[in-house]
Amino acid sequence: MPVLARLFAGLMLFLVLVFLLAPIAIVIPISFSPSTVFSFPPTGFSLRWYENIRNADGIIKALWLSTQIAALSTAVSLVLGTLCAIAIVRGAIPGARLVSTFMISPLMIPGLVLGIAFLHAAREVGLRDGYIPLLLAHVVVTMPFIMRTVLASLALFDFTMVDAARMLGCAYPAALWRVLVPNILPGFVSGALFAFIVSFDNYPVSIFLVDVHTKTLPIQLLNQLEMSPDPTLAAVATVMIVLTILALFACDRLVGLRRMAAV
Amino acid sequence: MSALTAATEASVPKAAAAHLRIRQLGKRFGSNTVLRDLALSVEQGEFVSLLGPSGCGKTTLLRLIAGLMLPDTGTITIGDRDLTRTPPHKRNVGVVFQNYALFPHLTVAENVGFGLRNRKMAAAERKRRVAEALELVRMQEFAERSVTVLSGGQQQRIAVARAIVVEPAILLLDEPFSALDRKLRETMQIELRHILRNLGITSIFVTHDQDEALVMSDRIAVMNQGQIEHFGPPGDIYTNPKSLFVLEFVGQSTRLPGKVLQTITGRVEVETPLGHIRAPGSYLPGSRVVVAARPEAITLGEGPAGEFNTIKATLTDIVYLGAKTQLHFHGAAQDEAIQVDVARLPIGGLAPGAELSLRWRIADTMLFPAP
Repeated sequence: MPVLARLFAGLMLFLVLVFLLAPIAIVIPISFSPSTVFSFPPTGFSLRWYENIRNADGIIKALWLSTQIAALSTAVSLVLGTLCAIAIVRGAIPGARLVSTFMISPLMIPGLVLGIAFLHAAREVGLRDGYIPLLLAHVVVTMPFIMRTVLASLALFDFTMVDAARMLGCAYPAALWRVLVPNILPGFVSGALFAFIVSFDNYPVSIFLVDVHTKTLPIQLLNQLEMSPDPTLAAVATVMIVLTILALFACDRLVGLRRMAAV
Repeated sequence: MSALTAATEASVPKAAAAHLRIRQLGKRFGSNTVLRDLALSVEQGEFVSLLGPSGCGKTTLLRLIAGLMLPDTGTITIGDRDLTRTPPHKRNVGVVFQNYALFPHLTVAENVGFGLRNRKMAAAERKRRVAEALELVRMQEFAERSVTVLSGGQQQRIAVARAIVVEPAILLLDEPFSALDRKLRETMQIELRHILRNLGITSIFVTHDQDEALVMSDRIAVMNQGQIEHFGPPGDIYTNPKSLFVLEFVGQSTRLPGKVLQTITGRVEVETPLGHIRAPGSYLPGSRVVVAARPEAITLGEGPAGEFNTIKATLTDIVYLGAKTQLHFHGAAQDEAIQVDVARLPIGGLAPGAELSLRWRIADTMLFPAP
């Protein structure tokens, strides 16, 4: 490759990385700033905003709720989505493609629409507290991400292996657990990671379903921004960034990012 | 070795009794009847091939025996256990799958030990049995490898070891050689037959390859359209096929359609486009029949009329195959194909276009009703 082209490609890569990462990275120095307003570059070093996460109204509670909702909705989507994907791939059921498109369709519907729909549906069936409708909505929102990766993994999985395990003394559920699950683990992990993140930072669906006692983190953070816009938010964001990086490392150790990216 | 051989010795006294017995087995998929009223009895320690074209129901039969599918009608018993409705994991039936279906997330030893783990066997005993099984298939050095790095032949050995280590009542093999190249396939056929004979495991082997069936089997069940057309030893299948389908499916043959002229003392005289041909049998005059002969039964030159059928035919093609040479002839009407196998060409050679006399024993002539 000519030197000029190589330089140009390198420059483009650099610009894209700056464009993608700079807004995220800038949050980190701000969070260590002693100033009470967002200021860059920071004028000193302080951990006061990290300290303040605990004191700020409702952030810890919202963090805990978001974690619960994300973990539960991911788990439910994993089990239901996997069973559904097996039926689609193996069951020879009529309209298998239709079912699979349907399961992925929440991805194509604006969150606002889903949120309003869930709000009305919850009212209709008399669910007035925030938790259950929120969880159900998040199952719907996370399902497409699980379905997509699990369907892709199953398409490559040789189901004769399940037969082989059954002939070697495994009942059908045990055969799935011991042969299918380890072999499509990368699909599970990457699907679960996406699903967790999608649920964790979902705003448009959640905004219709939260109430005073159940507020998810993104909503609580926006409230916080309106009431007292100080770098506590940057501190929370930094914590999130670190946790995400740790999660990626954990997944890499578990199944390898390369294998995850392949599904 | 000891555990596996001991099991063999213990099971010897049971021999001669039918081990696997299938009665009135039927299976349909929608409007498509795959198996019809099928019966099969296999003896302890016997090696039986299910031979037939694709779609004849042989794989379905195998899956029914394995329990991976349930029959619509009929019963399957192994020993004195009725297994017709037993789920596969409680059948104690081993399967070597066509693609081997090894577990890629486990090592060779873990693959082989998979079934033993399910039997809650102590770790030390399990390890010993796995080592024995790997030794049996000569793969002991590969125990700690990943199965994904093995060659096709090695994978097959592991699949066999994994299936036999649990000492199944019956071993089912679903076209296990189809993924191997020809040379390796022949080696593996002989080796597998040797291993299974030594262990005395009753084995059922599905194949569409007649040579494979002839090499491996004690008995062959030739299947067609969901039924067994002929069940017998390889020699019987080849020399005395029960139907025209079996004749055509196993080996090569020359077949001539004709009309029965008369039956005299157990010998039928048939009028064919190549003249009168006699065959052992008994048919009413006027019956439409097919007479047939195997290529190696036919020789060049005339023979005494009392013992031989003799015809005139034109040589069209000479195909040299190493151990034998195929000669292709046609009759006067040009549409009857006659195939003759000779070990050597006659001195002086042969030239296409020559009209020659061909003879074969009346006793070697086969006779079937016309389809």
